[in-house]
Amino acid sequence: MTTLSGVTHRKVQVRSNFERFAFLFMRLSGVTLLVLAVGHVLIQHVLNDVHNLTLEVVAATWNSWGWKVYDMLLLIFAFSHGMNGLRNVLEDYIHNAKTVKIVNIVLAVFVVVTIIWAGIAIASFDAAPFINN
Amino acid sequence: MQAQLRIRRYNPEKDTSGYWGEYTLNNINPNDSVLDLLHRVKWEIDGTLALRRSCAHGVCGSDAFRINGTNMLACKTLVSRLGAGETVKIQVEPILGLRVIKDLIVDMEPFMNHYKSVLPYFINDEAAPENGRERLQSQEDRARFDDTTKCILCAACTTSCPSFWANERYIGPAAIVNAHRFIFDSRDQAPEKRLAVVGDTFGVWRCRTNFNCTNACPREIEITKAIAEVKKVLATGEI
Repeated sequence: MTTLSGVTHRKVQVRSNFERFAFLFMRLSGVTLLVLAVGHVLIQHVLNDVHNLTLEVVAATWNSWGWKVYDMLLLIFAFSHGMNGLRNVLEDYIHNAKTVKIVNIVLAVFVVVTIIWAGIAIASFDAAPFINN
Repeated sequence: MQAQLRIRRYNPEKDTSGYWGEYTLNNINPNDSVLDLLHRVKWEIDGTLALRRSCAHGVCGSDAFRINGTNMLACKTLVSRLGAGETVKIQVEPILGLRVIKDLIVDMEPFMNHYKSVLPYFINDEAAPENGRERLQSQEDRARFDDTTKCILCAACTTSCPSFWANERYIGPAAIVNAHRFIFDSRDQAPEKRLAVVGDTFGVWRCRTNFNCTNACPREIEITKAIAEVKKVLATGEI
């Protein structure tokens, strides 16, 4: 009698599409946000007293390019992750293909413009005038 | 013991919209099933009540209804599960997301079309083994899709899914479960054809992982887990 054992793993050709990329992006950004967002909450609200969160404190933080990059990554991943979630919800309830397309374009433009606009604000922030020497 | 039943009624030849029919049944037993009570309403009070049922033992999947707000099989749901005391209130309505034909009967065509779209049958063009015996498979390979072989196509999962309620083009949990059953079968040769269907815009990506389907399944299939396994195959390209 022939007896087989073990699990057979097979490679398959998978057709990619936008939804697959969106799914992978949500997983990747979700894991990244676990580090970035939890780190942000810990630093801003646990290690530092939220009542002392003044412009001077923010300026001192953004005096470092490391923290500027951290906050820009937080902005990029959190905003695009959230807006893709919104896109998913809207696509559930909007059934007209043309309307879906318009909504998606509006959301994409909103995400790109907001990230660029906020990114410029963070990158060009000059901390010097707000830091008490 | 007494049961106060509220049953959603709709007769397309008479009614412009649905309404609640109220019926009181005396001398019921905690071990009676909801199907027993529906039979008593139909046979003793109002013979026009329309419902689907067949085996009455949780195998055929005909009598999935929304009972007290949750999808269940009427034949497997005992009165004792719905309440205790002298009077038990039970509300029965058609499963959601499918067109109501009459009373508790819904149009299952959209559901069955999604099921058929995943090619829910064994595909292997190689000749059968010469000895006339079955195509062999290891116990480990068989175990991978054991859970999803249990589906009875009652539609309790698909019609408990908010994504399906929102858009009936979503193929739904039942179709994905049946795709899983063959995608993970090492003897089957058409996983890519099925992955093309479930990987489409209205395939697995519409699943929001809210576990309604898993809770609704009368066969206790871990549906959300099966959907996640299909998503993983689509993400990695490896079964």
